[in-house]
Amino acid sequence: MSDSAAAPAVLQALDLHKTYFMGGAELRVLRGASMELRAGEVAALRGASGSGKSTLLHLLGLLDRLDEGEVAFNGRPTRRLSQSARARLRASTIGFVFQQFQLLPELSALENVLVPRRLACGMSWFRRRGLERANARALLGTVGLSDRLGHRPGQLSGGEQQRVAIARALISRPAALLADEPTGSLDRKAGAEVLELLLELAQENHTAVLLTTHDPEIAARCSRVLHLEEGRVRQE
Amino acid sequence: MSLLHLAWCYFRSRALLAMSALAIALGVAVLFAVLAVVNGFLAQVESTIRDFSGDAVVAAIPERLAPEAELQDYLDALEAVEGLESQQPRLNYYGLIGRRGARAIDDPRTTDLSGLLLVGLDRLPEGMKRLQADPQLEAVAFGPEEVPPGAILVGKVLAAKAGVGVGDSLMVISFKRGSQGYPVPVQTSFRVEAVFTTGRYDHDIDRAIVRREDLALMIGDGLGFNEIGLRGRPGLAPEQLADRAEAALLAAGLKQKGWPMLVSTWRAQGGNFLRAVENQKGILSAVFFCIVLVAAYQLVATLALTVTEKRRDIGVLGALGAAPGRIVTFFVSLGLVIAAVGSALGLLIGTWLTANLEWVQDRIFGERIFNAETYIFDHVPVAVDWSSVLILLGATLGAALVFSFLPAWLAARLNIVDALRR
Ligand SMILES: Nc1ncnc2c1ncn2[C@@H]1O[C@H](COP(=O)(O)OP(=O)(O)O)[C@@H](O)[C@H]1O
Ligand SMILES: [Mg+2]
Repeated sequence: MSDSAAAPAVLQALDLHKTYFMGGAELRVLRGASMELRAGEVAALRGASGSGKSTLLHLLGLLDRLDEGEVAFNGRPTRRLSQSARARLRASTIGFVFQQFQLLPELSALENVLVPRRLACGMSWFRRRGLERANARALLGTVGLSDRLGHRPGQLSGGEQQRVAIARALISRPAALLADEPTGSLDRKAGAEVLELLLELAQENHTAVLLTTHDPEIAARCSRVLHLEEGRVRQE
Repeated sequence: MSLLHLAWCYFRSRALLAMSALAIALGVAVLFAVLAVVNGFLAQVESTIRDFSGDAVVAAIPERLAPEAELQDYLDALEAVEGLESQQPRLNYYGLIGRRGARAIDDPRTTDLSGLLLVGLDRLPEGMKRLQADPQLEAVAFGPEEVPPGAILVGKVLAAKAGVGVGDSLMVISFKRGSQGYPVPVQTSFRVEAVFTTGRYDHDIDRAIVRREDLALMIGDGLGFNEIGLRGRPGLAPEQLADRAEAALLAAGLKQKGWPMLVSTWRAQGGNFLRAVENQKGILSAVFFCIVLVAAYQLVATLALTVTEKRRDIGVLGALGAAPGRIVTFFVSLGLVIAAVGSALGLLIGTWLTANLEWVQDRIFGERIFNAETYIFDHVPVAVDWSSVLILLGATLGAALVFSFLPAWLAARLNIVDALRR
């Protein structure tokens, strides 16, 4: 991880602005935030609650429209891309892990992990189904859930749900994994296990990770720490 | 490509969506049953007309015929028509019969007489059944029998009215042309050979069959026929058979030039009644399809509610890389799943309804809504026309597609971040 400064940037953000309007009052959350994420590195984004960490992560993940600035993946700008091109980029390049897990309650653990593949494969899904299933099964085995494949999210503990979410985020081998307080809803022990797993798997897959946290212990596990303050990113 | 599995999971876990499907099912079931009955009625009317008249009918209207020609000339000319399977000359005439034990059969003015159509035939027509002596037993089809001399076969309602049964003798009154040109009453006694049913009340009440020769003799008809029923080979259109027969008669010089058609099809014989039933079928289909439309229309509300309920899922799908078009497809598929399940269920219910119509009438309405006198047939005829069922299914799915589109579009427009926040 020490050589990550020399690695190419997977994700670059340049001068991002985002302002929310709430009934007349305007809230300038991001005011020229810039940063980059290099291949294979694990970076932590710290900041007070309400400082705009989630907002920044959503913009980096192309989930929301920015007011100003540019986000580039592997050097390619995304601002002018259409909705469906952005969706395709999300499917192929970005993995998400949310604080609230965000699994689909009607689907089993295995099916949840397969959703990104269904979305990414198009018509070839029907040809690849068997292969994709085997991959998903193996990945769920890696996160320690081989005996929970058929369980619905409601039948799993918080830690188990987040492990399913991690498998889902990594199934398409994305270049970047964006994790918004991935251990925020878990108790200390489960949180530590999940974090360990996430870092391990990301390293195995050579996936760059940006995770937000307000926990200094978690930040200490990362190769680089960024601070979000007054709408800008400051490197530690 | 599809998230059909997820749509199916939604469908399974939401009672609301199942209710939606049920509404569509009821609409489809009712439309299916109504179509089957109207169609069965139409098919029955058609087949009784066709069984009796044949595919085409040569009408022997005297002034249009060649003056010197005899029946055999016509039969010979028609025999050569390509695709003709059989032909049967008929002599139709009106007559009167008296009730059994009636005071005076020899006074034609008595109120005890009832009118009937005497059909003079050489062979029994298809589609008629012989009533058994034992009323418990079902009627059986006649064989290809000739009508015996001196015999009369009486429709079952007519037989009951006249109080006659097999073996009785029956006095029939009719009229022949007298020497001064006035009609003169004639009466002949026939032996009741059989009581038949055509399955159609209005035929069973006013028809009796006698031998054509007997009838010709009785009423003094020299020509011995007034129409010839033609039956074509299977697959030959009746119109084509009629055209060929017409051409053959013209070529043989048996039809006067300049007169309109002498040969008509069974469809033309059915006349306005047939067309009225066909019209009725169209109107009923349209009216009942409106029920299906209304049932499909509630998909708009149901799916809109599902979109609200499933906001977070929509956000998740978006975050995982589902383009807006994909979200639209997903909700439209959900609508189609609902409509497909509803239609399938509707077909099952409809099939059951049509198969158990008598039972349903007895249980639900407490009486037969289709009784023989008003409904012509002594049972409710049912015929499923699968091509119109296919159209019904296509139209139902089409309506579901249209009605799913608005909620699907609303779902696709959701902002992902907002949706994830619930
Ligand atoms: N959709 C929104 N509309 C209005 N205000 C918002 C919206 N999203 C976030 N905010 C506000 O922006 C600020 C930053 O939010 P967020 O990015 O969630 O912070 P963090 O993740 O660092 O806690 C907060 O004050 C929040 O209330
Ligand atoms: Mg946050």
